[in-house]
Amino acid sequence: MDALRFIARRLVLMIPILFGISILTFVISNTIPGDPARLILGPKATPETLSALQEEMGLNDPLYIQYGNYMAGIFQGDLGQSTYSQRPVSEDLVRYFPATFELTMFAMVITLLIGIPFGIISASRKDKIADQITRVFALMGVAMPAFWLGLLFLLFFYLKIGMFPGSGRLDTGMSPPEYITGMYTVDALLTGNWPVFRSAVMHLVLPGITQAAITIGMITRMTRSSMLEVLGSDYIRTAHAKGGSENRVLYGHALRNGVMPVITLLGMAFGHALGGSILVESVFSWPGLGRYAVNAINYLDFPAVMGVTMLIAVMFILVNLIIDTLYFFIDPRLKHD
Amino acid sequence: MLLEVNDVSLSLRRDGKYSKILDHVSFQVNKGETVGIVGESGCGKSMTALSLMRLLPDKAKLEGSVELQGEKITNYSKRKLEKVRGNQMSMIFQNPLTSLNPLQTVGTQIEESLILHTNMSKKERRVRVLKLLNDVGLPRVEELIDEYPHQLSGGMRQRIMIAIAMACEPQLLICDEPTTALDVTVQAQILELMNEIKEQTQMGIIMITHDMGVVAEVCDRVIVMYAGKVVEEAPVVELFQNPKHPYTRGLLNSIPKLGQRKQKLGSIPGTVPVPENMPVGCRFADRCSHVMDICKSTVPQVTEIKENHQTACWLYDEEGGNKDATTGSNQSQTTLHY
Repeated sequence: MDALRFIARRLVLMIPILFGISILTFVISNTIPGDPARLILGPKATPETLSALQEEMGLNDPLYIQYGNYMAGIFQGDLGQSTYSQRPVSEDLVRYFPATFELTMFAMVITLLIGIPFGIISASRKDKIADQITRVFALMGVAMPAFWLGLLFLLFFYLKIGMFPGSGRLDTGMSPPEYITGMYTVDALLTGNWPVFRSAVMHLVLPGITQAAITIGMITRMTRSSMLEVLGSDYIRTAHAKGGSENRVLYGHALRNGVMPVITLLGMAFGHALGGSILVESVFSWPGLGRYAVNAINYLDFPAVMGVTMLIAVMFILVNLIIDTLYFFIDPRLKHD
Repeated sequence: MLLEVNDVSLSLRRDGKYSKILDHVSFQVNKGETVGIVGESGCGKSMTALSLMRLLPDKAKLEGSVELQGEKITNYSKRKLEKVRGNQMSMIFQNPLTSLNPLQTVGTQIEESLILHTNMSKKERRVRVLKLLNDVGLPRVEELIDEYPHQLSGGMRQRIMIAIAMACEPQLLICDEPTTALDVTVQAQILELMNEIKEQTQMGIIMITHDMGVVAEVCDRVIVMYAGKVVEEAPVVELFQNPKHPYTRGLLNSIPKLGQRKQKLGSIPGTVPVPENMPVGCRFADRCSHVMDICKSTVPQVTEIKENHQTACWLYDEEGGNKDATTGSNQSQTTLHY
């Protein structure tokens, strides 16, 4: 019951946050110099047609009226028309978002599978060789720019040894699986289409690892420091005094306490990965939200930029809400406060 | 004899150098006996306890021998020692607020000792945990078993710690300042509980404390430590009535007494020397009001004052030969004016 009330309160709190984000994005995208109407019509348009279109798009209204119109649309499920793709923005988002979500989830799974074990190894063998190596890799992951790492991967794994494909979501000539979630791996699994599944996974590997590099580094470092703090605490000494073996103390007592701050960071990492998809998708020609956003910005496609930003913001807040709720079940202290 | 500690020395690595924390510490604990280890902070009391349990930081160098019921546990492998810890030899720590795992119910934490050291079934373990909770004087045990540490008070948590330590009926219980973090009324309750447990189980207890009141309350024999060395050892009554080492007298003098309101409370000037910078002779020489030339150059040997009462001080050594020293030995405040 407490958990439900907690979730309800957090959902209500989301509303002002989303309002804030919408105002901020709207103002910022409208202060970018450039005239969307002129961009649509091209250099040869007459002043008359230009002012007619400006009027039609509402560009002559004061900013707060424009914002009001936009928000009125949102409440009716209308995110506006993309001036670039000539389709409703909501349709574009549905089309591109699953690709980005699939890539981000893949990156997060890799992050979890590598980051947390590395952090544990690093902490339990503090200052030994394994720790030093892990720390160097974690630092490299955090410090390396994603687009550069992506290019290195492309050069080596795609061009040089041809182990993994370098662009797109499927092999050329292969048709996507039946649309269920829009995530090719999931849809292929659900329909039992193995060749497509294999191809989709292979295409995920390079962009996935590229996107995960930074978050692996973040999570490894956080796990290490958090575990070290826990391993030095009094209740770990108690566990040893009871006669618990090294492994029992590490996995039975230290791990659960030690991963708590890591879980919080995971929410941040998820947001980081979603935002970072812009670079990674450009490098690997991944037809997702990131590439859509880059095009939208290039063409001053304000409704599209707004749509992408709002969607990422909602995802980020939702993921963090899920994580905070998770906390509620892991840490008994929260339930009684 | 239950526990025999012989010439235990401990060095810890600090900033790349080893420094000696304990220097040839020897003492014994008999069955059913409570031995107090007293001294100021930093004199090696806790490190002595942790050395017995071998719960030491990495890169610690431990020398000498510890025998528990005739078994030399200092030779034991890590694995073999784990079977002893929490089973034959348990430990209770100073801070009950941080010594319990915040994410596990108290029942689970007590049960862990039973899982590690007995073959009890799940049902038997639950019965045993409930009995332990009852034994340490906790109320409404049926609910308590599923509660988390943060739901309990400091005194209750220390009782849980005692229940954990007692789970496998150890022969030796080491208590490292078990009442320091508790308020006075709770302290008294915990000490009473410890006395009860001792009478029932006949186990040996090592009580580490800096509180002479606690010593008077529960100990049979007392070991006074200073700067990593044992400086005096005596039965508790003898120690209070006839303290020999100037350090022991200083400790006893610093306890406020009823009806002596006007008198200034005794204190020992200076602080305990750091391990990196130990004096060559007697380690207490710099703070001692009876200091002689020999104290600063040569380490005093342990001298027998009478049966069971020994001290390491030149004042009582035949060769040190200072007859003055023995004059005012009946009451601590008569001879020393700090």
